[in-house]
Amino acid sequence: MKPNSFALRTPDSLEEAIGMLQEFGDDAKPLAGGQSLVPLMNFRLAQPEVLVDLSRIPVLTGVSHEESGALRVAAMTTHRALEMDASVTTSWPMLGDALPLIGHVGIRNRGTLGGSLVHADPAAELPAVCLALDARMVLQGGTGTREVPAADFFRSYFTTAVRPEEILTHVHFPPPGQRSGQAWLEIARRHGDFALVGVAATVTLDPSGVCQDVRLVVAGGGATPVMVPDVVERASGRQPQPELWNELAEHAGAALSPADDLHATANDRRRLIRVLTRRALTIVADRLDGRGA
Amino acid sequence: MIATDRDEAALVGQSIPRNEDQRLVRGRGRYLADVVVPGCLQAVFVRSSIAHGRVRSIDTAAAVALDGVVAVLTVADLPHVPLVDGVQIDGLRRTPQSALVHDHVRYVGEPVAIVVATTTAMAEDAADLVFVDCEPLQAIADVDQAMDPDAPLLFPELGSNCVYRGARDHGDAERVFAGAAHTFTKSFTSHRSAAVPMETRGCIADFDSGSGRLEVISGTQSPHLLRRKLAVCLELGEHHIRVLVPDVGGAFGQKIPASPEEVAVALASRHLGRPVRWIEDRRENLMAAPHAKEQRITLSLAMDADGTFLALKADIVGDAGAYSFNSASALIEPYVGAGLLPGVYRIRHVAAAITAVVTNKSPIAPYRGVGWTATHSVRELLIDEAARALGMDPVALRRRNMVGTDDFPYDSATGMHYDSGSYVACLDTAKELTGYEEFRRRQAALRDEGRYVGIGFSPYVEPTGWGSEGAQQSAWSFASHDTVRVEVQPSGHVLVFCGTPSQGQGHATTLAQVVADAVGVTMDGVRVIANDTDATPVSIAGTRASRVAVITGGAASRAGATLNRRLREVAAALLEADGQDVTLSGGVASVVGSPDTSVTIQQLAAAAYFDPALRSRIPEPDLVVSQFLDPKATYSNGMIAAIVEVDVETGQVHVDDLVAVEDCGTIINPAVVDGQIRGAVAQGVGAALLERMVYSDQGQPQSTSFVDYLLPSTTEVPPIRIAHHCSPSPYTVNGVKGVGESGLIATPAAVANAVADAMGPFGVVIDELPIAGGRLADAFEVDAAVTAGGQ
Repeated sequence: MKPNSFALRTPDSLEEAIGMLQEFGDDAKPLAGGQSLVPLMNFRLAQPEVLVDLSRIPVLTGVSHEESGALRVAAMTTHRALEMDASVTTSWPMLGDALPLIGHVGIRNRGTLGGSLVHADPAAELPAVCLALDARMVLQGGTGTREVPAADFFRSYFTTAVRPEEILTHVHFPPPGQRSGQAWLEIARRHGDFALVGVAATVTLDPSGVCQDVRLVVAGGGATPVMVPDVVERASGRQPQPELWNELAEHAGAALSPADDLHATANDRRRLIRVLTRRALTIVADRLDGRGA
Repeated sequence: MIATDRDEAALVGQSIPRNEDQRLVRGRGRYLADVVVPGCLQAVFVRSSIAHGRVRSIDTAAAVALDGVVAVLTVADLPHVPLVDGVQIDGLRRTPQSALVHDHVRYVGEPVAIVVATTTAMAEDAADLVFVDCEPLQAIADVDQAMDPDAPLLFPELGSNCVYRGARDHGDAERVFAGAAHTFTKSFTSHRSAAVPMETRGCIADFDSGSGRLEVISGTQSPHLLRRKLAVCLELGEHHIRVLVPDVGGAFGQKIPASPEEVAVALASRHLGRPVRWIEDRRENLMAAPHAKEQRITLSLAMDADGTFLALKADIVGDAGAYSFNSASALIEPYVGAGLLPGVYRIRHVAAAITAVVTNKSPIAPYRGVGWTATHSVRELLIDEAARALGMDPVALRRRNMVGTDDFPYDSATGMHYDSGSYVACLDTAKELTGYEEFRRRQAALRDEGRYVGIGFSPYVEPTGWGSEGAQQSAWSFASHDTVRVEVQPSGHVLVFCGTPSQGQGHATTLAQVVADAVGVTMDGVRVIANDTDATPVSIAGTRASRVAVITGGAASRAGATLNRRLREVAAALLEADGQDVTLSGGVASVVGSPDTSVTIQQLAAAAYFDPALRSRIPEPDLVVSQFLDPKATYSNGMIAAIVEVDVETGQVHVDDLVAVEDCGTIINPAVVDGQIRGAVAQGVGAALLERMVYSDQGQPQSTSFVDYLLPSTTEVPPIRIAHHCSPSPYTVNGVKGVGESGLIATPAAVANAVADAMGPFGVVIDELPIAGGRLADAFEVDAAVTAGGQ
């Protein structure tokens, strides 16, 4: 459990870091907290020759609120910093739900938003949350900056739209809409484990109080976080009531094709998707009613 | 609960903070990785990546050429005598194990070659470059495959993969079953788990080619046993081997056996003439260190019409892994487990068929509670199932059949002589602490709300101490006597020399309490030395089998009492009093009735060592006492109760409450006993719900990191409420019994019974541990579908 020999670079600026990635190409890997990468290196499942540590680049840390009400989180912001920031968890309760479930405090003190997103474990919380909240990823490379919506960001198991010489610098969360609620719910075998299944749910009501938009995203249901298809179509114009939640839960369970592993069968996971979808939507409805946390 | 009459000044019985915690808690312990040996090389093993095969060739050229690599050695370079178990049970076949594979690979992780380099990282780089060319053979991944007549053989010379088939019959179970009013049968699988000590295995071997002596530093539980195995394998005299034990971060039985790796490291050091260190990493520990507890059992219970237990019949198959391992053989699970089938109950007829087979998996070795966990679990689950079927209260049914308070000493059907105990009292205390009657009301009310809580009881009796008699009562060949030496130094301080090192149990404190009381000195003047075979008397078995408090503690107490008498004689001479009239306690000897006439332990020791005048009155003022002890058998007991809530839609189990009522006779240090219980109960929660070492049907281990081998932590284990009863053993020194394993014997069944109780409305039968949550949710779903269909 010793990694291969590697060089550690500690750039002080984004430009310097990108330069290093350009210089070393596929042999280099950004280090963004190391809570997944370093264990993979110790198992020799990842064997980068150069690690470019992003932790000393000031612009990569911090949270800012834009006038529009949007949230901009720098990629090296730790899970713990976000979890402890009431300005984040109050307006985006889904983040408030999900962040405390990531590993344990020691892991959250080191693990970063960007690290988790670029690692792209399909069972992880934050990729699914970003997809559900319609986040945009800001990437910077040698030729400038581009933005990729979460829906286009996650490509497959541990694979994203980030190019080898690019760095994920920020994540942009649009403002939560009026009459909109959100929640994250997951089941893991132990507290802090990767979820067997996690479900992100958002519900937006129109002024008359019927559903305008409902989104469901499942972690642990495929090779990426998966947006359950045909949800808006089913929910639009309907009353935000248990009958609808049950119907959507059945739909979500049937729509996805999760896999077997040591900890749960595919059938177990389908059931969990169903149960958690219903429960998550119920929590959202309670929040919209001003009930529940 | 029940206090015993004890000297109020006595240290035994007090929760004295542990001596070792100043060091260990503040990070000042010295574990194997902290030991600095000048010029030490680092070893990494090349391990088999296939479960079963024939080695065609091993190509080490690329590895040897790497920078920093000193040697890449195979068995061809390191000839030696193989490891073999020493268990003497008729019909048990031997499976000698070479420290490095000869030509037949039998499990994934089996050591094939040892790479020695200047750093561990270099050695790992080189190990990746060693190419082992194997002709694969069909892997045997379970006991059914192993027993298939057409199966490939792990040991062709044995003609079978079955290393033991036998029976333990007591009474006439067949006849009783034929006439019984009720019989119940269940099939049960105890899945493979592992001890997973926080500190993995490892050693440093340093062979001195000048003197021909071998020094080994190892986290072993049994330094003299390791010395003995090394002596055999390396063909050295035991007097030429010294085993030293540093601080050790947990063992739980996994560090009892001499590991093939330790033998290989010693061989490599001798071959190279240089010190060599090996520290196992976590992946190796999960994959290649011994596993435990894999048994498949069919158990039947015969009962009278009124609920009296009459007889048990068991068919037990143990999966030994690839070797009947050198510590305690394949029989440590099925055969040992069979001996405790009746448990705390008056059951006079017991018949067990016992089979042990080898498979292409890591070998089985002792792990806390050994084979008892499986047989205990299936019995307690079956009792709850019988109670449910008959509409009886499971706790009342147990109480009715328990060995009663007035029945001691009680001879169990399987030949165990239960010396004393409090089975019924522990049950009643657990009922009281869990608020049993109130719980049943709450359970019913919650069910109406769609919430499912359950309660499970699991009473245990555990053979502890294991002197020769205890071993005989378990039908086991296990020499387990010990000798302890206690010395008063010229300064008046006391050294205790024993061969039972601590892996975290706090021996430096508990043995010091015992000796301080016995000698009559203060505790800070006593130091325990248990880490050096050159310094300590032989401990035939080391730290295992809940034996240290009874055997080491008992011998130390007796040695201390002898020293107390000798010191009082010295005091009598100095004080010109009669020896009978002198007392010694707290480091001061004084004459009864005139407390001012006194002398300190320092003065006594100084006189004994340095005062020529004393010799005229005491010709041999010897303050070194060596004491042998082979105690009679003793059995501790208790009750674990668990309350759980099951989320029936998801199958998630939440443990709400755990109660442990224990009786280990006289308690030396209550805080240490409580710590033992908490640790074992936590492991029991893991065994019930989480911990499972999974193999593929190709014999590939799947649970080789903590992502997949799930240990319970504070988030899964609620606070454990502990109560004590005290039934001192009539046979042991001070009435002490062993403690520490029972939590892992009894907790899995308590949790599993609670789950089955919670799931009662849905007819769930727990037939394996750990419980798969998905199967609970399946049962609920089936029930919900049936209910919906019926409406």
